[in-house]
Amino acid sequence: MSAQTTSKQDSSNPEAAIDPSHWQEQEQSFLRKLNEEKRRKAISQLALNLLGVLLFLLLWEATPHVIPWMNILLFPPPSDVVGTLVELVESGELLENIAVSMRRVLFGFVIAAVLGIVAGLFTGRIALVQHLSDPVLHGMRSIPAIALVPLSLLWFGIGEASKVALISWGAFFPIWLNTFTGVRDVPPVLVRSAKSLGATPYQTMFNVILPASLPFILVGLRQGIGIALIVLVAAELAGASSGVGYMVATSHQLFRVDIMFIGIATLGFLGYMVDRLFTFLQSRIFPWYSSK
Amino acid sequence: MTALIEIKNVSKIYATSDDSATWALQGVSVNIEQGEFICAIGPSGCGKTTLLNIIGGFITPTEGDALLNGNAIEGPGPDRGVVFQEYALFSWLTSRENIEFPMRLKGVSKADRRAMSDKYLEMINLTHAADRYPGELSGGMRQRVAVARALVNEPQLLLMDEPFAAVDAMTRTSLQEEVLRLWEKLKFSVLFITHNIEEAVFLSSKIIIMSPHPGRIKEIVPVDLPYPRDRTSPDFGALYAKVNEAFHT
Repeated sequence: MSAQTTSKQDSSNPEAAIDPSHWQEQEQSFLRKLNEEKRRKAISQLALNLLGVLLFLLLWEATPHVIPWMNILLFPPPSDVVGTLVELVESGELLENIAVSMRRVLFGFVIAAVLGIVAGLFTGRIALVQHLSDPVLHGMRSIPAIALVPLSLLWFGIGEASKVALISWGAFFPIWLNTFTGVRDVPPVLVRSAKSLGATPYQTMFNVILPASLPFILVGLRQGIGIALIVLVAAELAGASSGVGYMVATSHQLFRVDIMFIGIATLGFLGYMVDRLFTFLQSRIFPWYSSK
Repeated sequence: MTALIEIKNVSKIYATSDDSATWALQGVSVNIEQGEFICAIGPSGCGKTTLLNIIGGFITPTEGDALLNGNAIEGPGPDRGVVFQEYALFSWLTSRENIEFPMRLKGVSKADRRAMSDKYLEMINLTHAADRYPGELSGGMRQRVAVARALVNEPQLLLMDEPFAAVDAMTRTSLQEEVLRLWEKLKFSVLFITHNIEEAVFLSSKIIIMSPHPGRIKEIVPVDLPYPRDRTSPDFGALYAKVNEAFHT
């Protein structure tokens, strides 16, 4: 073959000498290799992730053995904690506390999202509303939600209302502020387009300004969820009779550091899962967002 | 018979970023007749975009009258379609949904909307990209969708603000031909802003040459070359030279 392709006649049109099936074979083997490579990378990545977790647990388990003055009651190794975890799961205690906490977060967050987005739309679009509400809203935003826990207990009692109110309070501000920025910075050319296409002010607001500021609103919602979880724990540490935060607080009084660890790890896990769920829903509901 | 658009002694004063005043337009008068294809050309600061914004109803003149069919222009409306330079498509809607947007505002039924968007997608040769989002389209394809969206309301006038400035030269010539095809077929009037002399000579039946600081009309050049125009013909070259000279003196 090499002799043929170097001859003058063939070099003017070299592909004529090669069977078309040759290109197909090349292409298929290329794609096969590409897929294999991708799969190998994915598997090795997952293996490394698991290995990392395993190393962490191993280090944790080994620490009390390596450091002799370490008090095992204050720093229980994973082997102890796992036993407690099984107990808590079997008795249903853990799942119930998770359910209670998540319900509080959900209600508080939904209220904050509705109020925050509406407030953001109005303050971002109407200068009068913006300037009127600016000092008050920004002043309130600077109050740490944790400072309001005692007040909330007085106003709403030790029931669900005080937790939901605190969570809505905390989550409202990032949602409002991000919505405000997004709404204010909608490119004027989009608003002009809508008007010249016959949109009324109301239609412009809901069909153009709202979707155009969605990337900002989503950032606000994501920050709001993070804050909601923080405020949840603050609300449950004081004046609650259930929930994951309550679990951590009571285990402190019972000197059960193992339960405390489980509560803390649960909070980390919940935060992580809620965030993953959020990004998953986002790519599902707003496919255009990634193609922007 | 009144002209479609009458601009009588229109001036517009602006505040610049350092709080001084500048005249974007000063004493400008011009008419747009039914079916005309007008190009406004001039260096930046000559007020050509201000003129378009006044006719579009986005801004009001400081002085003078802007009339549409004899009535004062009081805001944007579906009788005047607008195509902006770029990024004016709604990124959260597909090509088809962008084109259907004006009909959705009016509450047109889904079947009728679909029929219309099919028709316009075919007109701009983008049937294959109907379900793609603007982020997945090339610059030229995006502007074709923007033109179709501006045309579904069947406006009397199409306002185009340097619509092809951001696309490459090859795409630009094919977009120019496409706009002429639509103009001949649908018989609307056009006000087309550009800073490209060749584009103006290729497209328009009348060229408004503007000068900056303050923005004024320098000369109005009628273009009586028959369509379709041949960019390599001597007549085209002669007209190009004429506009070029008026532009630079």
